[in-house]
Amino acid sequence: MRPLNAALAAATLSAAVLAVGPAWATEPHAHDHAMKRATRSTVDATLPTVELVRDDGETVSLPAELDDGRPVVLNFVFTSCASICPAMTHIFAQLQDRLGSARDRVHMVSISIDPEQDTPERLAAYARRYHAGPQWHFYTGTTEASVAVQRALGTFRGDKMDHTAVTFLRASPGARWVRIDGFASADELAHAFQELVASR
Amino acid sequence: MAQPAFPALRGLALLALAGATAMTAGATAAPPDAGERLYRQGVLPSGRPLRGVREGDVSVEGLTAACATCHRRSGLGSWEGQSVIPPIIGCYLFRPGARNVEDVDLPHVLGFVPHRQPYTEATLARAIRDGVDQQGRRLSYLMPRYALDDSAMRALVGYLKGLTSRPEPGVDRDTLHFATIVTPDADPAARQGMLAVLRQFFADKNAGYRGEAPPLHSTRGVMYRVSRKWDLHVWELSGPPETWEQQLRERQAATPVFAVISGIAGRTWAPVHAFCEHTSLPCLLPNVDLPVAAEQDFYPVYFSKGVLLEASLIARRLRDEHAGATLRRVVQVYREGDVGEAAAAALQAELPAGLPSVVHVLRSASARQDLAAAIAGVAGGDALVLWLRPADLAALPAPPATPAVFLSGILGGLEGAPLPSAWRVAARMTYPYDLPAQRKVRMGFPLGWFTVRHIPVVAERVETDTYLACVILSETLGHMQDSFVRDYLVERVEALVSHRLVNGYYPRLGLAPGQRFASKGGRLVRFSGLQGPAVVADGDWTIP
Repeated sequence: MRPLNAALAAATLSAAVLAVGPAWATEPHAHDHAMKRATRSTVDATLPTVELVRDDGETVSLPAELDDGRPVVLNFVFTSCASICPAMTHIFAQLQDRLGSARDRVHMVSISIDPEQDTPERLAAYARRYHAGPQWHFYTGTTEASVAVQRALGTFRGDKMDHTAVTFLRASPGARWVRIDGFASADELAHAFQELVASR
Repeated sequence: MAQPAFPALRGLALLALAGATAMTAGATAAPPDAGERLYRQGVLPSGRPLRGVREGDVSVEGLTAACATCHRRSGLGSWEGQSVIPPIIGCYLFRPGARNVEDVDLPHVLGFVPHRQPYTEATLARAIRDGVDQQGRRLSYLMPRYALDDSAMRALVGYLKGLTSRPEPGVDRDTLHFATIVTPDADPAARQGMLAVLRQFFADKNAGYRGEAPPLHSTRGVMYRVSRKWDLHVWELSGPPETWEQQLRERQAATPVFAVISGIAGRTWAPVHAFCEHTSLPCLLPNVDLPVAAEQDFYPVYFSKGVLLEASLIARRLRDEHAGATLRRVVQVYREGDVGEAAAAALQAELPAGLPSVVHVLRSASARQDLAAAIAGVAGGDALVLWLRPADLAALPAPPATPAVFLSGILGGLEGAPLPSAWRVAARMTYPYDLPAQRKVRMGFPLGWFTVRHIPVVAERVETDTYLACVILSETLGHMQDSFVRDYLVERVEALVSHRLVNGYYPRLGLAPGQRFASKGGRLVRFSGLQGPAVVADGDWTIP
């Protein structure tokens, strides 16, 4: 069995790996393990001009939907996913808790990579299960639209079953995206998010 | 179906528990199916939900914490992207890694580590509670830690020891047995076409079979087995649907099969669906216009929801076009005893509350009078929905005053529907497939195969779907190598069905745990001319 960390390292060979901040300096083993579990890079990506359908049924346009000035935290999920997405969505839910009253200043975005199954109703039910607040939306649409977004961010792997754990952060419209491959904890995401906002 | 199916593995769990576990003094005995409930549903013997914790204090509970959610019902695991979820059946955990010919019964799957030391019950309990493997290394991030008490741990380990520990029915040393099921009221021409495709496909499969040879052995510890012959059993049912489950039980007892492939129904498939679910028999991709919509069931898998999907498409279009409540009522017409009845009920259930719905049922052999009566009552503010097959469509009188006329493409014959010219101006037909021009290139392959194999194309859609089902089965089994486990077959079909171009009518197929209908959408079309089999899209591909 391939170790998860070796596979992740291979995936980010060509990207710049930024050091995770000082919060873990006191616990070297935790730091090592955190580094192996998730790796960070930056990405220049332009979101395509496509229509997506939000979990409340509204049809919205990218990139405008994500360009209201708020920082964005984004991942790709599908509601039938058995292992990776529940873990990632749990982490998003924890991040939402960590942000507390600051959560409305963030736009949390989960885009379905199984849009034919994930109707707005299904996504809304999924969102309720994880107690998603009004700042966290799930999106679906046509297969073409979902694939276009995945391609733009470099996560499209042909089939939803081949997807990996990946999270994106963007401080503001037009800024570079920070890409985190693997299972970053809510603390790590919150930390990365705060760094991003501070450096705007 | 509200209840999951236990019977097949209940006996195994009992045996496993009795043989493998010793009760310590003073410990509470867990009920016999405790291991299965814990494994599949995440419910502890106490009745409380199972709780697991991942690193970073992310906790999961109940079904999302259940072992089966990731390790799957078969216990043989899976993979998603770069995450491999290993097999956890007893013979993997407790036997030393197999790399020798004696271990012929050990199914080979990804995640199988051939040279690893076996777990003991103590190290396995530690793995589950503390998240470290038998060598003390941390398990994957995805694997939660579970604080199970001794009673729950015993129940779980006993269950794992029983998983896929018996030889599967329908699997011989050199032959895989499959059944296809035909109900008595299936369309005779389509039935003929389907059987011709199945028999030819199986014959092709077996033409490459070279006969017995000793199992091969590679230095990487991976076993390659000679391919098996495929044997097709045609189970033709007779009499009323209430008697079909009993007939199927008798067939299965006489000639056990590994899975049901394709098949064809008329007005109902429900007894077959129930039989397969109760007896843990994979039921793959039958030709049915009215499937059973029960996505929490496991073994029956369908191409699409058929007329139920069409009902949803029409309901959606009615809601979109008549959002301002301009519709007076919906009039539906179907033939007695046919699938239109269920379709009409499904449509009615999706109409806005308070919108009246009227049904006209055709009973006589010649529909002309019944249809004339039904159509006569349709006024300008009504919508008319026709759940009719070609013979009844051809008998339609003059069209009604309303422009809101819909018909079922599946029942009517798609672009070949003999809809009278006068109706073609207003009518819209449901079309849950790619249009002929869209699918032409991908259809080249199956149509070419039919030609080369001299299979008359008497029912193109059914024969194409049958061929597609065979190819999916064949490719899935190829990926499984020799791990012939029924649950695993369904799990692998789920994972692999979207990996290929669809050489057939559907634009794409996709499945996943909890998804049992591979094609989920459709569109409405209009006829492009007053005569002839040409249609044009009336709106986009829609997922209702």
